[in-house]
Amino acid sequence: MSPAIRAWLTRLYPPSWRNRYGAEFEALLEECLHSPLDVLDVILGAFDAHLQLLNGENINWRLLNMLNKLRSTVLMVFASYIAFIIAGISLVGVLDDSPMVPLMQTDPAPAFMMAVIRIASVLALLAVIIGGMPLAITIIHHALASDRANIKLLLVPVISFALLVLYFGIVFLIGTGKIQIAGIVQAVQPNNFPLGNRLLLVGLMLIFVLGAIASTWAVWKAISHTDIEQASFHPIGRTVNINLYKFAYFPAVVTSVSMVVMAIATIVWSKMVFSALPQVFSGNFGLWQTSTQPWIYGIIAVMVISCVTAFFGVARGRSALSHA
Amino acid sequence: MASNDLGRFSDPGLLILASLAGGAKHGYAIMEDIEATSGVHQGPGTLYGAISRLEGGGLIEALPVDERRRPYRLTQQGASFLRQYLASMQRFISIGFERLEA
Repeated sequence: MSPAIRAWLTRLYPPSWRNRYGAEFEALLEECLHSPLDVLDVILGAFDAHLQLLNGENINWRLLNMLNKLRSTVLMVFASYIAFIIAGISLVGVLDDSPMVPLMQTDPAPAFMMAVIRIASVLALLAVIIGGMPLAITIIHHALASDRANIKLLLVPVISFALLVLYFGIVFLIGTGKIQIAGIVQAVQPNNFPLGNRLLLVGLMLIFVLGAIASTWAVWKAISHTDIEQASFHPIGRTVNINLYKFAYFPAVVTSVSMVVMAIATIVWSKMVFSALPQVFSGNFGLWQTSTQPWIYGIIAVMVISCVTAFFGVARGRSALSHA
Repeated sequence: MASNDLGRFSDPGLLILASLAGGAKHGYAIMEDIEATSGVHQGPGTLYGAISRLEGGGLIEALPVDERRRPYRLTQQGASFLRQYLASMQRFISIGFERLEA
């Protein structure tokens, strides 16, 4: 039987059934679909699966739907976190060498808000590492053992990181005067920021942002391709079985809550800073000495959208766990 | 679904349980084992209809996928159910033989 017929026969089954059994069922059909009676058996099986669903008879497909929802929770929170981090780093770029830094040294209120942002960012990072570590180890292990397609995907973050390090190396060498490029000065000043240096900074931002997007896409694809829900780990000689997505759920909630805290603290901090220094808000303290206002609004908008997306993912996961 | 009620798939379900009692197997290996031990050919639709019910009832459980094939193994509940079922079959068979010989 041709692959098209096998795919068509599998499509006769309900989507939730296919989510759970589709891939292994198609693999089985490749080996055993020999006669018209087998085809008839598959068609009757599809009919039976629809009846099972109508009767609400099956428990197992719901379990699979739960796992799919938990997986999408982890992916949505991870992607939102990366977008949030890009916005956060842009905020640091806006702050850099601006009058906002001295203000925070004298005014405890915005300094406190910035401390809240820092603490929440550490919490979010820890939660991402703790929740993502078993999943990352499992995917890397699986990719090295049997899944060659995933190896290519996992190379994307490695290459992105290497490019970023290489670019930083070049910027460092320019900064120390070991490399000299026409149109680029060794150290910029507010009144001397040549086009070459601006382009150098744009290149750095582009490599960082595009690398982060490509890496997030690659991790998303690798997780989606890996059909592993449970894994065994052997720390200090003991075997620990972990349900990867259930395990990652609580850290995903911590990450999302930390993101909300950071977003609220950023909004409050911006309000405090711009009340104290209105000239900063109307001035050009954005990246590459562009207008401050659109940068701040843009950063806050990305943070809020990231939080909403993360919480949408968390709500999906919660509904999946409560219906399990 | 009660764990001892396999519905329309009671025979395929029992054959699968008996096959998995010999160790974890994926779908095609279960089909081959059943054909070799009982002479019964199970179509893919029948097989997976029974597998989904057995898994839903907690009598078997899925293991991680190995090259697109997913092996299944008997759970404790499945082993206990199979043992009880075979014991009751054995009593029934003994009674049947005793009556035939009487």
